[in-house]
Amino acid sequence: MMQIIEWLMDLLLSPWVFVPLVYPGLISAFAVLLFIIWLERKIAAKVQMRYGPLYVLKQLGGVIQLVADLLRYLFAEPIIPREADKIPFIFGPILLFASSYLSTVAIPVSYDFYAFRSDISLLVVLGITTLAPAFNLIIGWGSNNKFGLIGGLREGYLITADEIPMFVTALAMAILYGTMDLVKMVEIQVDWAWGILLNPLAAVTFFVLMLFSTSRFPFEIVEADSEIVMGPFTEYSGILYGLTMGASYVKLYVLSLLFAILFLGGWEPVPQFLSGTILGPGLVLFAKALVVMFLQVFMRSVYPRYRIDHALRLAWHILFPLSLVSVFVSFAALTGWWL
Amino acid sequence: MSKRESTASRLAGHLEAILTGFKYLFAEPRMTVRYPEEVIELPEGYRGMIIYHKERCISCSLCAMICPADAIKMHLERPPESGGESAGKAKPKRHPGINYTRCIFCGFCVDVCPAGALEFSDIHDAVYEEFEAMIYPPSEFEKGPPKQEFPKPPKRLRPKMDERRGIRYEPLD
Repeated sequence: MMQIIEWLMDLLLSPWVFVPLVYPGLISAFAVLLFIIWLERKIAAKVQMRYGPLYVLKQLGGVIQLVADLLRYLFAEPIIPREADKIPFIFGPILLFASSYLSTVAIPVSYDFYAFRSDISLLVVLGITTLAPAFNLIIGWGSNNKFGLIGGLREGYLITADEIPMFVTALAMAILYGTMDLVKMVEIQVDWAWGILLNPLAAVTFFVLMLFSTSRFPFEIVEADSEIVMGPFTEYSGILYGLTMGASYVKLYVLSLLFAILFLGGWEPVPQFLSGTILGPGLVLFAKALVVMFLQVFMRSVYPRYRIDHALRLAWHILFPLSLVSVFVSFAALTGWWL
Repeated sequence: MSKRESTASRLAGHLEAILTGFKYLFAEPRMTVRYPEEVIELPEGYRGMIIYHKERCISCSLCAMICPADAIKMHLERPPESGGESAGKAKPKRHPGINYTRCIFCGFCVDVCPAGALEFSDIHDAVYEEFEAMIYPPSEFEKGPPKQEFPKPPKRLRPKMDERRGIRYEPLD
């Protein structure tokens, strides 16, 4: 019996199980999801002189509000419209959520703790996260609803506009570091400086593009609840709706981890009292990602929603050229002219 | 497009907006009044639910006539049979009853009442389990509006105009 438990613990703590399942994978993604939505509502409330969610566990300011919501979603009946295309309607949210969180497998937690190490792990992360919006389109089409269709088409316009500059910006950093291996990128940042200092333009551009691709304000155009109900997710209810709503937040979490690794020095520096343990680097990386997520969700309380043509013009006329310029900034930084 | 702002000024605008957001993130106080725990002190002359003093009523029907929402209606009521001489001889009297599903709390009835039989209370929050319970015949009307019950004695607040935040709530005691 003891042997079985020991074997199970070994299996759980081995990186190729721990990373996809616990941290930074599924379980911590769920925990972050519950926390960050609460934080978003709380921040927006505070800026607007309200309280936000409060009455579920009042001592901690209603922090488990989202657990209550999740329970409600779990027990609510998922209604499937008669006219909807059943298979995409049911599997769309599941695949959307899965493809949003799946790229955590390629995110390393420290120099020697990762599910797999690859020369192109940056491309793996970006590539898998780019899959997710395609399911938004499928959902919007499959739910046979005009709002769903409009929302899906908006997503279609937006992904073409934001993913290309996002790849170019990330590749600018790859050019700067001379590698696409996320572990090596952190090693190089320890030798030189944080990426945000080496190429601030790329950092700012990537930050705005994160807002764009995770549909945070001011680019919350796909859902746009005051215009098209809930966009592609209009027809959903119950746990399927919970998955669709959570997907963009999980994507935000993944991209925040990526932002922390690309621009904020990853898991370095580990504070003295945590060094040597496996916990240290993970916590540092997590804290940096949380700061990025905080800034992202904070934008909700500052900005109104852009109209789609404004957002597309911003993406193609400003962000895309900026991402190209950031490639040149990377070259300039490489030659040492920048520093 | 009539006038284009320069890129620098637009960037400055974005920065200013974000900084303003941060400023408000740490600013106190909040405007929410958490109702059953905190209650706003009502000003004098607040038009709440109406108290009816039946003994002062002269049955003039002015309140029913002026009511713009037709909430007040006069009910014909026989005085109680007292037996003896006057049994069966007393004239039936009219008394107002109120329908709170229609009442708009304009207060015309209180203003027009020549005998001062109608009066405002400061009660405005009542819960009814049935629609019919909101319709008060004179016999119910004279018992007054329902009592307010709080789980705990609420904190009383007074609204104050504030130059910077717009409105503020100060505790009364």
